[in-house]
Amino acid sequence: MPEEPEISELLELVKTFTQEGSAARIDQIASRMGRSLKEMQRLADEATRSGLTSKTPVGIRLTDMGEASVRKHREEYIHQTHLHGGSLTGRVRRFLEGNVRDWHGHWRHHGFDDESLPRFYENLENLQGRIEDTVSLANLRESEKCTVVLALGGHRMVRRLAEMGLTPGTEVTIVRNAPLHGPIEIFVRGVSLALGRGIASRVLVKPLTSSRASTTV
Amino acid sequence: MEAKRRLTICLAGNANVGKSAIFNQLTGLNQTVGNWPGKTVERAEGTLHFKGYTIRIVDLPGTYSLSAYSKEEMVSRDYIAVEKPDVVVNIVDASALERNLYLTIQLLELNAPLVVALNQVDFAAKKGIKVDAERLSEMLGVPVVPTVATVGMGMQELLSKVVGVTEKAPRSMNVKYGREIEQGIKKLEATVKIGLPQLSSRYPPRWITTKLLERDEDVSKKAEGEKGLAILSEAAEIAEQIEDVHGEPSSVVITSERYSLASRLARSTVSITSPPRVDMDQRLSAITAHKILGYPILAGVLAGVFSIVFVAGGAMVSVLEELFDAVIVPGTESFLRGVLPPIWLRLVSGGFVWGVGAAVTIVLPYIVPFYILLAVLEDSGYLPRAAFLMDNLMHKIGLHGKAFIPLLLGYGCNVPACVGCRIMETDRERFLAGFVVTLVPCTARTVIILGLVGRYLGVPAALGLYLVDLCLIFLLGRIAFRVLPGEPMGLIMEMPPYRMPAAKSILKKTWARTKDFVYIAFPYIVGGSVLLQFLSVYGVMSVIADFMSPLTTSWLGLPSITGIPLIFGVLRKELTLVLLANLGGTFDFASILTPIQMVVFAVVAMIYVPCVATIAALSREFGVRRAITVAVLDSILAVFVGGLAYQLLSLVH
Repeated sequence: MPEEPEISELLELVKTFTQEGSAARIDQIASRMGRSLKEMQRLADEATRSGLTSKTPVGIRLTDMGEASVRKHREEYIHQTHLHGGSLTGRVRRFLEGNVRDWHGHWRHHGFDDESLPRFYENLENLQGRIEDTVSLANLRESEKCTVVLALGGHRMVRRLAEMGLTPGTEVTIVRNAPLHGPIEIFVRGVSLALGRGIASRVLVKPLTSSRASTTV
Repeated sequence: MEAKRRLTICLAGNANVGKSAIFNQLTGLNQTVGNWPGKTVERAEGTLHFKGYTIRIVDLPGTYSLSAYSKEEMVSRDYIAVEKPDVVVNIVDASALERNLYLTIQLLELNAPLVVALNQVDFAAKKGIKVDAERLSEMLGVPVVPTVATVGMGMQELLSKVVGVTEKAPRSMNVKYGREIEQGIKKLEATVKIGLPQLSSRYPPRWITTKLLERDEDVSKKAEGEKGLAILSEAAEIAEQIEDVHGEPSSVVITSERYSLASRLARSTVSITSPPRVDMDQRLSAITAHKILGYPILAGVLAGVFSIVFVAGGAMVSVLEELFDAVIVPGTESFLRGVLPPIWLRLVSGGFVWGVGAAVTIVLPYIVPFYILLAVLEDSGYLPRAAFLMDNLMHKIGLHGKAFIPLLLGYGCNVPACVGCRIMETDRERFLAGFVVTLVPCTARTVIILGLVGRYLGVPAALGLYLVDLCLIFLLGRIAFRVLPGEPMGLIMEMPPYRMPAAKSILKKTWARTKDFVYIAFPYIVGGSVLLQFLSVYGVMSVIADFMSPLTTSWLGLPSITGIPLIFGVLRKELTLVLLANLGGTFDFASILTPIQMVVFAVVAMIYVPCVATIAALSREFGVRRAITVAVLDSILAVFVGGLAYQLLSLVH
């Protein structure tokens, strides 16, 4: 089922409201998305018609199908944006991969293992806000600040990063971003760390400096 | 009474916090350095006397954590838990307290009797950071002593606190986790105590429980060995519950909680006295790690190091050679003449004394100065910047920036460079780096290149050979990276701030690396030298040369006598030229070899089997099989590239 970006955005926000423990009211979603109430109402109706959401007394909530749709959207976004990146080789590889049917199996090609994969899905499940608001650490510019969201990869790498202080929620400042796929230097918990580009691009963060516009797909 | 006066303490801490500086301050010259049994991890030990106590100090490797992630961490935690030293001195960097306390918390979890050395308080003060040591001590429940290891400040107090802890154990802080984890620990701990009696007798049960919930590989394996499958599955169940609540791997949840404790401790003890400002360190970092400027600076620094070493070293070599040729060798001969039969005399003077002489003329003029300069670069903080700049290129051969450091060491001598590969995190990376290191032309090989190609064909030709070698390193590294199974690791490296290097630490580092040469390479060089004399006395050499001649004359286009120095160069590479001169009867190589032959000879000598000492170092670090594989591969490559060079150069001329 082809999905409009707006619907995926709506679904992610519904999920965030539910995680925050409040009912997902259409007017609140509309104000957070910066859209008109009418437009949002139309979108919500469409989502309900497709079986992704269902109406509640105060607003809408996700159906099981809606939950699955959010997860798939997040998986596809991370895969497309963070694991293949915008480089030519990344695009070619993505092209050669074709249509991924078995996502669970496919993540193993990207360094995930038995221990990190289930956790990765839980991370996706618990992610607050839109996936589009996360960027990879490698994409930030010098002196930008961000907080760590999650790391993509095997459990050894994830643990190593955590031990060096890069746990979810930690604030990080970019000190230096070397050119041409070089490493980046960050400042975290009072220490300067050098991270290889490969590792840095697998750390998803939320930028704190508002000057940055959200990435385009 | 006697037993009470002997103490064993160990030093634990992150890398770059001045741990070895404290070790040096405490032990002075009473140190021995070796390996941990069965591990290629360095173990330094020393003793000191203090107020009637004889204190043995074990310097644990620098680690950030006590997980099962690396050999160093395993060695450290097993030592603390199993050998139970009387006191663990945890050295923390006052200027990066939060990160350092992460390890402190783990030491507390191991129930280690702890004394904290709050080091580099001077450096922290310069950065405007003040740590309230008393408050920190109250919160941790263990003594905290401010120190400045580089000048020896706080050492006496540190020692009296160490002694104090052994007399009266302090009540240290209990590390508590969040609700879900605490519940999980409580639920499992009693079972662990009963179900895993062996493990519980060595490690604290609470610690084992926490590690099981973290899915620690080593502890899980040990529990499995003790038939604790039921406990393991219960632990996995609890870990899953934790993961369900937090949505993170349980190990990350526990790590996060340790960090938030560390962060709380740091927040309530650290005060920023002056706003952070752009200081010398940051300015230097900005220039030396600059995306464009950094590279010419790196090239300049390296060129400077190499020219200092080879210009100054060359001058010293001629003095030393004069000394051996004119004084020591004739002196020994006249002294032993009449005492020993002539053949023995040749073995002793031409073999043993000559061998010692050759080793000394390599160590003193070249290796020692080179390693002093490298230690200065390392301690000042420049090498990590160089590693940062080289990371990208290193990734092309499946390694990361850190591998640049052993690679550089290889230009001095391959033996300490093989040992230096220990800084890589995984076995695969260590071996890959070790393989690449054997292709780096060490000083002995540089002597051949400069003495033959540099002298007769000019310096540009010699530099050309170096360039060819760099290309080979790159190419072979890339092939090896493709062939060796396993995933490449990325770079995660701390960038220590720039600081003035301390003379003591530089000398110690230089000695540690020179010692690898002296202990591993020296015996082989001297033994090889004696063996060479022996073979030439009994005329075995020419037989081998005849046997080799199809290869040397037709494929490599070299005169058949060159087979001998090339073969026996395995024993003593720097002697290859001397041997050639002896066999050819002249030191004017232009009369023995054509220019093309010189290049071919130098190429083969540069690439083939590193030398016996390096093979020995390789087999110590990576096992005999891998060492032999590398040696055979290098030899085949040398003959192949040498022949190729001959064919190509003949075509051109």
